[in-house]
Amino acid sequence: MLNNFFNPKSIAVIGASRTPGKVGFDILRNIIQYGYEGSVYPINPSAGEILGRRAYPSLQDVPDKIDLAVVVVPSKNVLDVIGQCGAKSIDSAIVITAGFRESGIEGSKLEAELIGRAKEAGVRFVGPNCLGMIDTHSKINASFAAGMPAKGSIGFFSQSGALCLAILDRALPDEIGFSKFISMGNKADVSDIDIMLALAEDENTKVILGYIEGVGDGRKFMEVAAEVSRKKPVIILKSGITSSGAKAASSHTGALAGREAAFDAAFRQSGIIRVHTINELFNYAVAFANQPLPKGPNIAIITNSGGPGILAADACDKAGLQLAPLHKELVDELRTFLPPVASFYNPIDILGDSGADRYEKALNTALKDERMNGFMVLLTPTATVDVEATATAITDISRTIDRPILTSFMGKKSIDAASKTLTRYGVPNYSYPEEAVSAMDAMYRYNLWINRPEKTYSKFDGMKEKASQVFENAIREGRDRLAELEVHDVLHAYGFPQPRSLFARTSEEAVAAAKGIGYPVVMKIISPQIVHKSDIGGVRVNLKNKKDVENAFFDITTHVKNIMPAAHIYGVLIQEMVPKGKEIIMGITKDPQFGHMIMFGLGGIYVEVLKDISFRIVPLSEEDAHEMIRETRTFPLLRGVRGEAEADIEAIERSLLVLSQMALDFPRIIEADINPLLVQQRGQGVVAIDARFAIGGE
Amino acid sequence: MTTLYVGSTGGFTGKTLVSMGLGHKFLNDGFKVGYIKPVGILPVKVNGTLTDNDAWRIYRALNLKDPLEEICPVVLTQELMVKSYLKDVKGLMSKIEKSFGLLSKDKDIMIVGGYGSIYTGSFLDLQGIKIIKRLDAKVVVVVKYEGEYIADYVLQAKKDLKERFLGVILNKVTPEYKRSVEEYVEPFFKRKGIDILGSLPHDPVIGSITVEELNEMLGSKVLCGHEKLGNLVEHFLIGAMQVDKAIEYFKKTRNNAVIVGGDRADIQLSAMETGSVCLILTGDLYPSEMIISRAEEKEIPILSVREDTYSIAKKLEKLSSRLRLRDKSKVERGMSIVTGHVDFQTIYRKLGIRS
Repeated sequence: MLNNFFNPKSIAVIGASRTPGKVGFDILRNIIQYGYEGSVYPINPSAGEILGRRAYPSLQDVPDKIDLAVVVVPSKNVLDVIGQCGAKSIDSAIVITAGFRESGIEGSKLEAELIGRAKEAGVRFVGPNCLGMIDTHSKINASFAAGMPAKGSIGFFSQSGALCLAILDRALPDEIGFSKFISMGNKADVSDIDIMLALAEDENTKVILGYIEGVGDGRKFMEVAAEVSRKKPVIILKSGITSSGAKAASSHTGALAGREAAFDAAFRQSGIIRVHTINELFNYAVAFANQPLPKGPNIAIITNSGGPGILAADACDKAGLQLAPLHKELVDELRTFLPPVASFYNPIDILGDSGADRYEKALNTALKDERMNGFMVLLTPTATVDVEATATAITDISRTIDRPILTSFMGKKSIDAASKTLTRYGVPNYSYPEEAVSAMDAMYRYNLWINRPEKTYSKFDGMKEKASQVFENAIREGRDRLAELEVHDVLHAYGFPQPRSLFARTSEEAVAAAKGIGYPVVMKIISPQIVHKSDIGGVRVNLKNKKDVENAFFDITTHVKNIMPAAHIYGVLIQEMVPKGKEIIMGITKDPQFGHMIMFGLGGIYVEVLKDISFRIVPLSEEDAHEMIRETRTFPLLRGVRGEAEADIEAIERSLLVLSQMALDFPRIIEADINPLLVQQRGQGVVAIDARFAIGGE
Repeated sequence: MTTLYVGSTGGFTGKTLVSMGLGHKFLNDGFKVGYIKPVGILPVKVNGTLTDNDAWRIYRALNLKDPLEEICPVVLTQELMVKSYLKDVKGLMSKIEKSFGLLSKDKDIMIVGGYGSIYTGSFLDLQGIKIIKRLDAKVVVVVKYEGEYIADYVLQAKKDLKERFLGVILNKVTPEYKRSVEEYVEPFFKRKGIDILGSLPHDPVIGSITVEELNEMLGSKVLCGHEKLGNLVEHFLIGAMQVDKAIEYFKKTRNNAVIVGGDRADIQLSAMETGSVCLILTGDLYPSEMIISRAEEKEIPILSVREDTYSIAKKLEKLSSRLRLRDKSKVERGMSIVTGHVDFQTIYRKLGIRS
């Protein structure tokens, strides 16, 4: 796929220029200068020759077959050129020209026309408004970037041309190698998805790197990413959208689910490694490109100083990595050549007077421990250490093993040459130990991802049928939320236990209801205008007798009438008091790009303050449900603290899966939350205390 | 004994204040005064006794000693409302008559407080006009002049009440309205044979509301400034514009409360620096700590609500028209406005009693 983009036998530059400094000149020069071996045809109506190549007035005048067109003509001429490409049977083009969607309404129209014209002509194109493309293996630099990256195995695509330039420039001095470099521009035709697929198939690419600001089709993106990420690591830098959209969303789930959450969940579920800074993007890329993956979490650290060792150990602890001591015999072996005051456990501190030989011996000893999945070598440039010899020793060892080694030679001036050596021979070196740990952790997590079993999806039958009438009614009546009693029915259909409840219009009815249910009871106001009942004093709990119920009826109805005179009060709901449990919240929200998401959080009424929540895109697999509960900070509370009984976590998992099913069954749910959902002890299930459903859309 | 019904053209025109003021003056002039509100719509329990909130305020302001449970014989609770929807509730009128009989014993003047307009109450078969006849009352109508339809109403009331109709008391006459009231409204009513018994100027202090009341009405959370919940708010402003414009706007308005999104720190600071007496933060967005500490320093209460700015503004517009006279100083100020601007000689003459 997209083969002619990356391996063209001939390239035409339409809009090639004789004037240095013009894009049409720079591109042609880059193509020629960096050793492209195919034919190059400058197209320019008024030039006979440019940079020693014969120029042609138009594409039609070129006698030979052309595989790739690079378009640099003014925007008003781009459509015609694409038409000519079609006529000349050119199926691939890179449109460098700007002045399309990014420039306003006129540009948007032009871009739409361009898409149509390209489709008619049978031309796929990258851009418009892009920097071009580089392939180091077929030695094409069809871009106007300054410089050509080293040959390597990192494939990079970017929505931002400027970022391409910055990364290229940053990669040059360190000789970080790339396989492909694609500036995507406006992504009018060839999309992130196309490029990911192409890079997945590309033999020269080991790691896929991307910078995106947004995706077109969220679902498709996830699907492709999940497939690709099983073959090759996909590392994405996504610029953030702050969730200023919190606004006054009426339900908790809505307020809590910013767009960021959707991307986070989507990336997580499709195995994309997400980074938040350009630095991280680089750090991870060089590790993935050059080192094998750790097969487990056990890491051995060798250091010549205490401080950095402790920092690395702390970072491992925060990440998912473990520092187990070496095997006893190996610790004894260390004792034979390390000074007695050295630290023999992990991190292994071989002291500041170490030379390269001590590093080498210690590393070789550690390697003998088969339980160790990865290694980190930290170095501070002391007077005694031969930095370069140490680097060489490490790269020699690295070549012979199939476990990863990352290094952190700290400093700048005295380690510069060593750092270059390490990089050249494929051992990534990081300025600080935390960066090395973070890269190692990313590799470890990726290893988990590619080795995880296929996801399992539960199916729940017979629920949808029981609830569809409720949704149909609400939609037919044009309502945007379900009424109290409808909510009850929907939850019931989906098997959520709810406290027994009876409706009452007067205090006499309330007393009768309370008697029927049995004291103590809870009373809640029922009014279509009131969504958050407890906020306005519409809920009373622990009513123990007739008098309590009568007073509560008066108080609630009077109070609500006072502060919300426009609210229509139907009556009250009398509910049984549910035995104490842990309060959690779960809900459904709908993202414009990724569709339905399921939310989970702990904390009941505190959820909006704690913001300790997790999201997954629907459909949820059993693994997703399992993970999303465990990734909240407050998860240990469910396990029980200080002798508390464990909560029914399995029931929570099942509830999340049921909710996912509900979202699939009823695409018109925009927002729903069950809050609080009371979790009882293990084996005793959950009880839905209160819930809201908002519906709409198509 | 003579009976004076204080009615009005609609809800929230100032009947409570006028009743208080009239009662106060009657007492000062040496009369034995009683008060009854036959139908109350603001249920409240005072030491376990169900009554009406406005009636309770008048009872306290006039320092009455009659049994409280008789002051408002019919309180329209949710309970009563639902019941009367479901079937006709009997015996309400006789309950009112019984209480009236009890309260009017040994009194020179009984003041009867209406609810809504004199035509309100058919729902319970307790229309104001029906009660007026049953209790054989004379009527003053409190008018908040807002346009010709008010005149329609007054003319109709005069026609229906005939000789029971004593005249009108104009209330909340703002400085902007004063001229047109004097030049058009008063001459018009006079020409139609309607006596103007008083013209009460609008008073910003009485029209104000304490932050505490505001908090209760909005169902909001007090984030800070608990000790300044007694601050009086006279105007509400919406903080939606750019800071430089906002400052100008805030400065011009005295004793204002600013309604602003919880995440607009710039506007919140400008409001506090220009002397706002309260901030109402919308969207359930907790402000930055800097705002809270500045507010603590300047002793400005901050309320936080879940709704958006527009909904809150709408709600306040609705609620602020029904301000309740709670504050003792406001009550006294209100009563003195009534005593100073009502023509009691005419009232006494028309009631047929001598001062």
